[in-house]
Amino acid sequence: MADLRRHLTLYLRLLGAQIRSQGAHRTSFLLDALGSLLITAAEFAALALVLPRFGGLGGWTLGEICLLYGLAELAFVLMDILFGGFDAPNLSAHVRSGSFSTFLLRPAPLTLQVFASDFALRRLPRVLLAAAIAGYGLTHAPLAPGPETAALLTAAMLGMICFFGGLFVIGGTLTFWTVDSVEAMNVLTYGGRTLISYPMDIYSAWLRRTFTYLIPAGFLSYLPALHLLGRPLPDGLPGWAALLGPLAGPLVLAGAFAFWRVGVRHYQGTGT
Amino acid sequence: MTTMPAPPTGGHVSRLSRLALPWAVARLGFRRQVAYPQAALWGLITNSFFGLLRVAVLLALFGTRPQVAGYTPQDAITYTGLTQAFIMAFSLFGWFDFMRAVHRGEVTADLLRPASLLGFWAAQDAGRALGQLVLRGLPMLLIFQVIWGLNWPPGPLAWAQVVLSVLLAWACGFLFRFLVNCAAFWSPDAVGFGRFAWAVLGLGCGFLMPLAFFPEGFRAVLAWTPFPAMLNTTVELWVGVTTGGAAWAALGTQLGWTVALLLACRVTLRAGLRRLEVAGG
Repeated sequence: MADLRRHLTLYLRLLGAQIRSQGAHRTSFLLDALGSLLITAAEFAALALVLPRFGGLGGWTLGEICLLYGLAELAFVLMDILFGGFDAPNLSAHVRSGSFSTFLLRPAPLTLQVFASDFALRRLPRVLLAAAIAGYGLTHAPLAPGPETAALLTAAMLGMICFFGGLFVIGGTLTFWTVDSVEAMNVLTYGGRTLISYPMDIYSAWLRRTFTYLIPAGFLSYLPALHLLGRPLPDGLPGWAALLGPLAGPLVLAGAFAFWRVGVRHYQGTGT
Repeated sequence: MTTMPAPPTGGHVSRLSRLALPWAVARLGFRRQVAYPQAALWGLITNSFFGLLRVAVLLALFGTRPQVAGYTPQDAITYTGLTQAFIMAFSLFGWFDFMRAVHRGEVTADLLRPASLLGFWAAQDAGRALGQLVLRGLPMLLIFQVIWGLNWPPGPLAWAQVVLSVLLAWACGFLFRFLVNCAAFWSPDAVGFGRFAWAVLGLGCGFLMPLAFFPEGFRAVLAWTPFPAMLNTTVELWVGVTTGGAAWAALGTQLGWTVALLLACRVTLRAGLRRLEVAGG
C-alpha cells in the first residue's frame, strides 16, 4: 500500500514536470490544443451536418450515434493522455535516441516513467468536446436512466481505455524489435476507434465479426450500447453477453503488459 | 538520390536550361518517394482500411435512396476512392517541410540557388505529389475498382477537364500549404498554426464528406474560400455532378484561386525573407 502511494506520488510529480514544460510556450500550446480539438470537431461536424439531409444512419438517430461516437472518442482521448508514452512513434523516438536507456538507469519503476513521459496536455480540450458529444448522446438517446445504465457506461468506458491502452503498449513493445514505426498497429488503434464510432451493423458481417470476437473492440462499446438502447444483439447473442463487454479490455491490457515485460527483457539499446 | 542537376552545357542561358533545375528538382522529389516502397505499402493498407470504413458509413447514409444531392451510391464510392487516392499526393493530412527549412535556417541555402524559392519548392512538391500519386493513388483506385467498381469520367472532354482540375487542385493546395508554412518566418510555434489549418482544410475541401451533402448555408460560406478548389471540384468533375458550362466555371474558379494564392505567397514570402535578414537566421 505504501509502495502504491509512493508510485502515485512519483507519477504525479513527473506529470507536474511535464505540465510545467508544456506550459512554457503558451501560444504554441494554445494553437496545438485548438488544432487537435478542431480535427475531432471537423470530423464530427462533417457527420452531424449531413445527417439531417439523410435522416439517419442505418436506422440510428443523431442522439444514438452521438452516444457511440462520444463514448469511443472520450475513451480514446483519455487513453491517449494516459498511455501516450507507449504510443509507437513516441516510444520508438525514445528507443532510437537512447533516452529509453536512461529510463532504465533511473531509480524509478520503468513503466511508471514511460507512463509519464508523453503526457500531452494539449488533448484536454478534445476531452471536453468528446464529453460534450457523449453528453448530447446521453440526453438524446432513449436510455433508461438508473444505476445499471451508469454502471454499464462507466464499465464500458474503462474497458475501452484498457483495450486501446493495451494496443498502444503492444505497438510500443514492437518497437523494441523493429525500430521502424509499426504502422500496421494504426489500423487497430485509430482504425478501431473510427470503426466503433458508428453503429457496427453498417459494416459487412466479416468486418463486424473480426472487430467483435477476434479484436474485441465491438464488445466494448457497441454491445453495451445496443443493450442500453434496448436493441437486440447481433449473431443471436443473449442479452447478458453485453455485460461481458467491459471485461475484454482489462484482459487485453493484462496480456499487453505481459508482452511488454518480455520486450523490456529483450531490449538491448541501439548503442546511441 | 544520386541525380544532380546537370550544369548548363552552353555558355548562354537559354530558356531550356532555366527549366533544367526545376526539372531535376522535380525528378529528385519523385525518386525520393519511390525510394521507400515499404512505407508506401503500409500506407496503402491503412488507407484501404479507412476507405472501407468510409464507404460503409456513406452507403449506410444512403440507405435505399437512389440519389442524394446529385450523388448516387456508386458516385459516393467513387468519391471515397478518389479522396483516399489523393490524401498523400495533395498532403491532406498536413505538410511542414518548408516550415522546417525556415526554422532550421536551411532556407538560406535555398536562396543561393539560381531559381526562385517558390519555384524550387513547387518543383520539388510536384515531383513528390506525382510519386505519391503513382505509388499510392493509382493502386488505391485499382483496389476500389476491384472491390466496389468506380465510376469513370464519361469521355475525352470530361477526362481533359479532370486532368486539368487535378493539376489546379494540386497547385492551389500547394500554394495554400506554402502560405501556411510561411508562418514560420514570424513564429517559432508555427506547427500548431499548421495543424489548425489542416483541420480546416479537411472539412473545407470535401475530404471528410462531399460538400454537396452539406446544408446550403455552410456551402455558401465555403464557396468564398479556396478550399473546395483543392479537392471537391475535381471529385465533382470526375463523378459528373458538375458538367457543361458549370464545369468550365469550376475550372475557372480553381484557376482564379491559384492566381490569388500565388500572389499571396509571393507577397508573404517577400515580407518573410525580409524578416529573416533582420533575424539573421
